[in-house]
Amino acid sequence: MTLEVRDIVMNFGGFRALDGVSLTVPAGGLVGLIGPNGAGKSTLFAIMSGFQTQDAGAVLLDGRPLDALAAPARARAGLVRTFQVPREFRNLTVRQNLLAAAPGQTGENLLGLFFQPGRVAREEAVIARRAEETLRLLKLAPVADQPARQLSGGQKKLLELGRALMLDPRFVLLDEPFAGVNPVLIGEIVARIRELNAAGIGFLIIEHDLEALTRLVPYLAVLDRGRIIAQGGPDAVLTDAAVREAYLGGVA
Amino acid sequence: MTDLLQHVANGVVQGLFIGMAALAITLVFGIARFPNAATGDMMTFGAYAGLVAQQAANSLVLAGAVAILAGAVVALASHWLVFRRLAGRSVVSLLVASIGVAFMIRAVLGVVFGQAQAVFQVPLTRAQLYWGVRVTPLNLQISQVVVAALLVVFAVLYFTPIGRQMRAVADDRDLARVSGIRPERVMVALWLMAGAVAGLAGMMLGIKTVVAPEVGWEMLLPAFTAAILGGIGSAPGAVLAGLLLGVAQEVSTPFVGFSYKIAIAFLVMLGVLLVRPSGLFGRSESVR
Amino acid sequence: MSAYFVAIGIVSLIYMLLALGLTLQFGLTGLINFGHVGFFAIGAYTSALLSLQGVPLPLSFLAAAIVPGLMALPIGLISLRLRDDYFAIVTLGFSEVVRAVITNARELTGGTQGIPGIPRMYPGLTGLPAQLAVLATVGLVTLAAVWMIVRIARSPFGRMIQAIRDNEVAVKALGKDPARFKVQVLAVGAALAGIASAFYAHYITYIVPDQFIPLVTFYVWMAIIMGGASRISGAVLGTAILMAFLEGSRFVHDFLPGVSEVHMASVRIGIVGLLLIVFVIKRPQGLMGDTTQR
Repeated sequence: MTLEVRDIVMNFGGFRALDGVSLTVPAGGLVGLIGPNGAGKSTLFAIMSGFQTQDAGAVLLDGRPLDALAAPARARAGLVRTFQVPREFRNLTVRQNLLAAAPGQTGENLLGLFFQPGRVAREEAVIARRAEETLRLLKLAPVADQPARQLSGGQKKLLELGRALMLDPRFVLLDEPFAGVNPVLIGEIVARIRELNAAGIGFLIIEHDLEALTRLVPYLAVLDRGRIIAQGGPDAVLTDAAVREAYLGGVA
Repeated sequence: MTDLLQHVANGVVQGLFIGMAALAITLVFGIARFPNAATGDMMTFGAYAGLVAQQAANSLVLAGAVAILAGAVVALASHWLVFRRLAGRSVVSLLVASIGVAFMIRAVLGVVFGQAQAVFQVPLTRAQLYWGVRVTPLNLQISQVVVAALLVVFAVLYFTPIGRQMRAVADDRDLARVSGIRPERVMVALWLMAGAVAGLAGMMLGIKTVVAPEVGWEMLLPAFTAAILGGIGSAPGAVLAGLLLGVAQEVSTPFVGFSYKIAIAFLVMLGVLLVRPSGLFGRSESVR
Repeated sequence: MSAYFVAIGIVSLIYMLLALGLTLQFGLTGLINFGHVGFFAIGAYTSALLSLQGVPLPLSFLAAAIVPGLMALPIGLISLRLRDDYFAIVTLGFSEVVRAVITNARELTGGTQGIPGIPRMYPGLTGLPAQLAVLATVGLVTLAAVWMIVRIARSPFGRMIQAIRDNEVAVKALGKDPARFKVQVLAVGAALAGIASAFYAHYITYIVPDQFIPLVTFYVWMAIIMGGASRISGAVLGTAILMAFLEGSRFVHDFLPGVSEVHMASVRIGIVGLLLIVFVIKRPQGLMGDTTQR
């Protein structure tokens, strides 16, 4: 059970954003993806999650190509992403945001809603419990009934993660989960991700906060100008000459 | 065959009107980023202004100048009073507000001029035959005026600093901002230009047909279609698509009947949007 | 006098059914339907033509709901992938094409002459009792529609359409297909418009294409924008304001003999325009809306 991208090429006009990117996240893996701004990290996420279509190359889940699947189908297949700029449902409460993410609801069909009310109520009770657990896990319980637009930037990041978890994903693509999150909470998110990872969920994480990221992931890949220039354990990668040159601007 | 050529010739004249209306729409869509549903009524406003001027001074040239001016003024006023206050708001706000502007322009015209149709006093002339196709000197003159106006617009867009700035904003607003383009100046130029084009188009349409409170509104759907077909924000595309649509409408008239022109426009629009949901040459939005 | 108020009540409830449909489509889901009147027209002609062929009214009313609801499906399938603003243009175009068709398909629709002599509801009753019976029926149907929309709004389906309104991209990222929800919403709103139109046709007993101009769509938009688009109470309040405005402008006309009906029509359209602009700029959330919401 692996997540793999193979030789991804993506052009925007004359600009080659991704130039033959290959990367594998093993089942239950925990991989960090770093690189300077404009390196193509978010574009890679967009391609993996089906929001953009690559010019060449393939995205595979368990060796099965996902190219024929649109974004919603990929999420249902177990590959769920979050967004760099949080995309909360701003007028729904935090709890409703989580409930909305739960898959396979009979009550999301008008026929089911009006003709199977008992079943809808039972399912609602089950996902309400799931949502409650997730709220507790992410320390969002105190704000559960506030509209999501009132959350801080960091809380919105947590909500994004929480919604992804409601899908029972096999792989989660986290786009800068620590941006705007206060340091205490970062520690907690790190702990949560570790727990989830121990429970078998694979993570690929874009993050600029290297200190927090290296505390979390045992494996790093570095993307620069559309190519993976290094990958491996954090210590080896961060001391790699090419990485220091490209990513750290050759200062150190 | 001659019949077909005749329809093509009629379609070209009709297409020039659609093209001008589409040009006014695509300029606003490309730069202010919303489909301006008041474009049609801005045309009607120009037509009535030209009519008043012609009746007062008995000069078509002066009437044309007044129509251009009136269109520009009403467009700039709607920018200052309405659209500028909605900058940064959702597209539905701007859309609904543009419907509001359309209704207010139509209301003013209705109160002042009533609902009756009016016509421009133009000399009746005999149609000439060119390669078996009947063309009236009036249609020829109208076409010449429209083509000349389009040339002026394109000259401004492509050969003046403000025109280059307008195109830069249409291409990439953020990039334009960081390269020091003052957005409000561009907006004022945009509305003056779009209004002037609409005003003149309205008067030319009025000369060719009649002046009535709904003439502009009835151009709206074909004009939107041409703007989408030509690629939102593309001025040459809008004019070419307008011509194409005008010809398509006229050529299909013998088969579907005069009154279903609007359905032709609608079907073309659906067809284009089916193939390319973001318009024929539209940018596809990226999700990051 | 009481007959007058009953008449106002009936027309108000017809507009309220339209407003409820738009509340579901725009207020809850964010669909910019500028072609509401097109579905209204299809329903009116469906029920009028069927009843004139001898179909019993309950069945023709049912057809008036089903036919526009079904018409919404192809429109939805074609256009729901589009950006919001293109969807608005396409639906506006749809309603204008509907009007062109009913104007020109003379054999079927009577063209500009329209269809006169549409059967009334409750032919056994006359005068005020007949009016009251119509009022009671449309009232019950409106109550049922309110119940249904409240039920939808508070359901998992309602949660998801509001999520779509707030952020469609995130909905896709969570494995749900927004188009599937939007098509259902479009069909339900169209069916509500169709039922409203059947009441209209069989109450007025006479329909012509000129009754189905885009202005009607924007009357309903004015109502829900003034009342507050995201709330059902907003649709109710907005419809009340709309009716007060429409009837009030008739009174003004009666009291100002110098003003012709033509002028009054222009003044009315101008006020609609002005109110749309003022509310969009000053109070986009409407009178009943949550002011902390933007």
